[in-house]
Amino acid sequence: MKYKLVHKTTYTYIDSIHNYQCIVCLHPISSERQNCEDFKLTIEPNPQNLYARKDYFGNTQYYFSILKPHKVLQVISTSIVEVFTPKIVVANAITCAEALNLFDTKLVLKNELLQFQLPSPFIFWDEEIKLFAQTCLAPNESLYESIAKLSEKIFTEFEFSSGATTINTPLNEVLKLRKGVCQDFTHLMIACVRSLGFAARYVSGYLETLPPKGKVKLQGSDASHAWVSVYVPEMGWCEFDPTNNIISGERHIVTAYGRDYSDISPLKGIIFSSGEHKIKVEVDVIPIL
Amino acid sequence: MNTPISFLDSYKKTINSYDEVINKSGEVKPYWATIFAALEAVGVEELGVRNREIINKLKENGVTYNVYDSENELVRPWKLDPIPFVIHQSEWAAIEKGLIQRANLLDLIYKDIYGEQLLIKNNIIPAELVFNNSGFLRPCFDIQQKEFHQLSLLACDIARGPDGKMWLLDNRVQSPSGSGYALENRIVMANVFPQLNKNIHRGKLGPYFSELQKTVGKLSTNVENPNVVFLSPGAGNETYFEHVYLSSYLGFKLVEGSDLLVREGFVWLKTIDQLERVDVIIKRIDDQWCDPLELNKNSLLGIPGLLQVMRLGNVTVINPPGISVLENHGLMAFIQNACKFLLKEPLIMNSTATWWCGQTKELIYVLNNLPKLIIKKTNRDLGFKSVYGRKLNKEQLKDLKATILSNPKEYVAQEEVSLSTTPSLIDGKILPRLAVIRAFLISDGSNYKVMKGGLTRSSVVEDKFQISNQFGGISKDTWIISDNLEELEEPQERQEDIIEIKKNNPISISTALTSRNAENLFWVGRLSERTLVLTSFLKIIFNRLNENVSSHGKKQPEFLVVLLKAVTHLTQTYPGFVGEDGEEDETVFEKPLAELIPLINDSKKEGSLTYNVQSLLYTINHISEKWNNDTKGIIYLIEESLVSLKASNEQNISQTTHGLDKLYIRLMAFYGNTYETLPRENGFYLFEAGKNIERFLSLVSVIQTLFCFKRSEEVEQLLLESVLENHNLLAQYRSNYKSQLNLVTVLNMLFLEKNSPYTLAYILDTLSYNISNLPKKSEFNQLSITEKKVLEASTIIKLIDPEELEQADENNFRKTLDSTINNVSELISSVTSSLSSLYFNHSVMQLSFLATDKDNSDEI
Repeated sequence: MKYKLVHKTTYTYIDSIHNYQCIVCLHPISSERQNCEDFKLTIEPNPQNLYARKDYFGNTQYYFSILKPHKVLQVISTSIVEVFTPKIVVANAITCAEALNLFDTKLVLKNELLQFQLPSPFIFWDEEIKLFAQTCLAPNESLYESIAKLSEKIFTEFEFSSGATTINTPLNEVLKLRKGVCQDFTHLMIACVRSLGFAARYVSGYLETLPPKGKVKLQGSDASHAWVSVYVPEMGWCEFDPTNNIISGERHIVTAYGRDYSDISPLKGIIFSSGEHKIKVEVDVIPIL
Repeated sequence: MNTPISFLDSYKKTINSYDEVINKSGEVKPYWATIFAALEAVGVEELGVRNREIINKLKENGVTYNVYDSENELVRPWKLDPIPFVIHQSEWAAIEKGLIQRANLLDLIYKDIYGEQLLIKNNIIPAELVFNNSGFLRPCFDIQQKEFHQLSLLACDIARGPDGKMWLLDNRVQSPSGSGYALENRIVMANVFPQLNKNIHRGKLGPYFSELQKTVGKLSTNVENPNVVFLSPGAGNETYFEHVYLSSYLGFKLVEGSDLLVREGFVWLKTIDQLERVDVIIKRIDDQWCDPLELNKNSLLGIPGLLQVMRLGNVTVINPPGISVLENHGLMAFIQNACKFLLKEPLIMNSTATWWCGQTKELIYVLNNLPKLIIKKTNRDLGFKSVYGRKLNKEQLKDLKATILSNPKEYVAQEEVSLSTTPSLIDGKILPRLAVIRAFLISDGSNYKVMKGGLTRSSVVEDKFQISNQFGGISKDTWIISDNLEELEEPQERQEDIIEIKKNNPISISTALTSRNAENLFWVGRLSERTLVLTSFLKIIFNRLNENVSSHGKKQPEFLVVLLKAVTHLTQTYPGFVGEDGEEDETVFEKPLAELIPLINDSKKEGSLTYNVQSLLYTINHISEKWNNDTKGIIYLIEESLVSLKASNEQNISQTTHGLDKLYIRLMAFYGNTYETLPRENGFYLFEAGKNIERFLSLVSVIQTLFCFKRSEEVEQLLLESVLENHNLLAQYRSNYKSQLNLVTVLNMLFLEKNSPYTLAYILDTLSYNISNLPKKSEFNQLSITEKKVLEASTIIKLIDPEELEQADENNFRKTLDSTINNVSELISSVTSSLSSLYFNHSVMQLSFLATDKDNSDEI
């Protein structure tokens, strides 16, 4: 599948903003699963500087700054991404216990995975989270199947509810509420996986949504999305979407990988102002082939 | 008669472990014999005198560790032992080798961790010590400064172990502090105790600092005329004294994060005239706080965008953020192998034996040997204090074991080494105390140089290894001595004892005033005047109260009531003597002290005298680089006044009034000294502007409360006298007018007289002069908004007719006087905010946010 992605973020400020600086993480990654054929970043007002760099995890990030005083800032990223037909997943039989043993004994593996096994700014866990994880991941069961079970459990037991949480809601709170958005489910699932010693990454990206039957898809109706990538020995990184209980596939387009949201948030900026600001985000995921 | 035992012999009796004075064969080292002889010649009594002199000298120079803290008054004066720590050059040369190797090694480890990570890949360093360390900052991985060494400055704590060798206890790389204290120690010692220097050849500290200047010059992108700033977290920092001291010694501008900004790919310094490009930042804030855009987003100490400018190579930061990964106690356990791996040679100077609990064998050893060990966390910034195993009881040891077992990878254990002792002056006796030396290294581009000296700290209490300044340790001057001069001299070195390096300074010293300092100087002007006026007003009130104690019984005479009310208006401490909604409360006047004393001693009460003195000192302290030594001495006296005024109460009124007199004189001294020494630059004009604005506002406030209602002639007489006295005009009035006091002539003088510094016309002329000297931001030929306001007020004042102002209506209300004062007072009050927006426009709120902080875009 080939998609055109349009991600438009509009900031509106009460007071004029001077000397704005921002970091953008919206450039879809090119990998075995997808190829980003084209990427364009349109910023209004025009930035003084725009620099691209590869971050520690290999994602492309942009830094820009705007000197001109402005009350409205618009950042539009447009990309063309081809997502290859996913290989058919053949789940292997490696059990949780075997996987843990491999992580411990294989130095190369340990060095590669360690940072995705440790707590990170948004990911930390307590006994409750660990207990929740243990209901799905038993030592003698297949790691892959267990993770799929965990993803399903979150999907069935949690209610999707925007507004019940914010990005700063702690994970044990999410676990209690049994409510949240894709970010919360993703963070919670990562915490579960890591709490038992496995490696999990945060994936930011998009999911193509289908309009209700018989209706035309509305512009700007899509949204950015987040899901989980778990390392299974011999299979490599496998992606799971606990918000929709699907194995992420052709309709998932990856922007970036990180330890959690804080590594790869789409836009983060610093303003010097005491006034209020509003943010509007519109996303379109348009299939073109 | 007994011959008194020599110092040396009596000291030898007190030694109960390995001591610096004794060599391996049990003999006294010859240079220590020389020093003891010198001490002996001085004598115990004189030693005490010198010690007190040192204490006073340090206090006068404002040397503190914990700086002035308005809440807790935690001024912890720096402590300096008159007996130095001494090492012979022949031994020091070996120590230097070890330190230089360590610096090179740390530099390579840093480069490896942020580069290829071969140490991890080859299992030399466990990955946990990097990835699970909050000092490892991923956004810094692609910062590569152009110089060969990324680690430019290093401080190492070393001490002598039982084997007679120096051991490395710790290394500081994020913001290595102490070199400024070392320098100040040397200077104070040389001044107070010159006898000790005789016949002893000591290494000089100067070369280290000139090397630092040379290095900084080389690092700059702008080699001709580099702009170097010294970035401090501000006056709240425990080593702020050193920031002030070193930056002015080295000629670098002392700045805080808010003084700098990133624009168009460069870092700029905000001064009141313009933005100045910054080439090199000597960083004294911790790495995490450097850049809220990419590191800790809540930091208000840093510079948003700094990392990006560093990536572009447009600014050099010493040491670069990310270096904090080296401040990990766990690394010590692997340092020998890292040395073999990276340098292909054995480690010269050992570290304290260290075990990382993330390894099974090591963990078991640690758990079985806790009483011999010191337990630390690998992550330094988590606020975990080192735990000394031997101090714990059974129960506590059990708890500690459980804590370690719950997450062994986060703990390291270090052997508690028994360190050597060194002679220290404790309560008038020379006694052996544990000592740790902090050594300082600077990269010259290709290799490291070690300061020939250092900062030694020793414990006060015997056998206790508490050398940290936070717990009241004592510092010592540190001497690297030699039998002949050549061993110590760099070829081109001069003979002077006290270092002078400003000549040949490759760095040009810019005098531009930062916006923050501009604002602070303005407020020092305002607050010193405010305090001065209040002090003088309180003096007058106490005088009048004393005079009237007997004659009127409980009830206060009318003029005193008016004066007391004026104090409340002046300080804005309502209800006070004014009462709620103008309803005066008779009882307040029966016991005026109940209101007046808190107005002096209650430093928490806004508007009170001590509150104002505190605010003044606080502001003064924020720009301490502007004050010379004499001014610092006066500031110290004002601090003393603050303490004594806080202790004032109703029982010691005479002491209180005496205290007010003293404070008044000290404030005047502060003001006079500042006035005489500040260069006639923007800072001076703002200081003067602040002072005159405050003087104007307080004078009109007093005139308004005292005279807007017409009172009996007798009462007005007394009030007129007070107001003239308060503004130092009484004598002049008497000589000028030779008449009885009357309101018309007094108003004439207060408003229009042009030659006395306390009249409104004079104040506004001065204010207008000061403001006109500030940088112009308006169109050519146009007056700035502040100039316009001052001109308008000045015109109103100069056009008044005293006769008309004196007129009262049927309710005895002097309407014209009242409205004139309201007018000018409003104009002059608004000058402050106009100055603010013109010159101090830097303190805008900084907000950092993520795109999705407020929306729910991730909804699928």
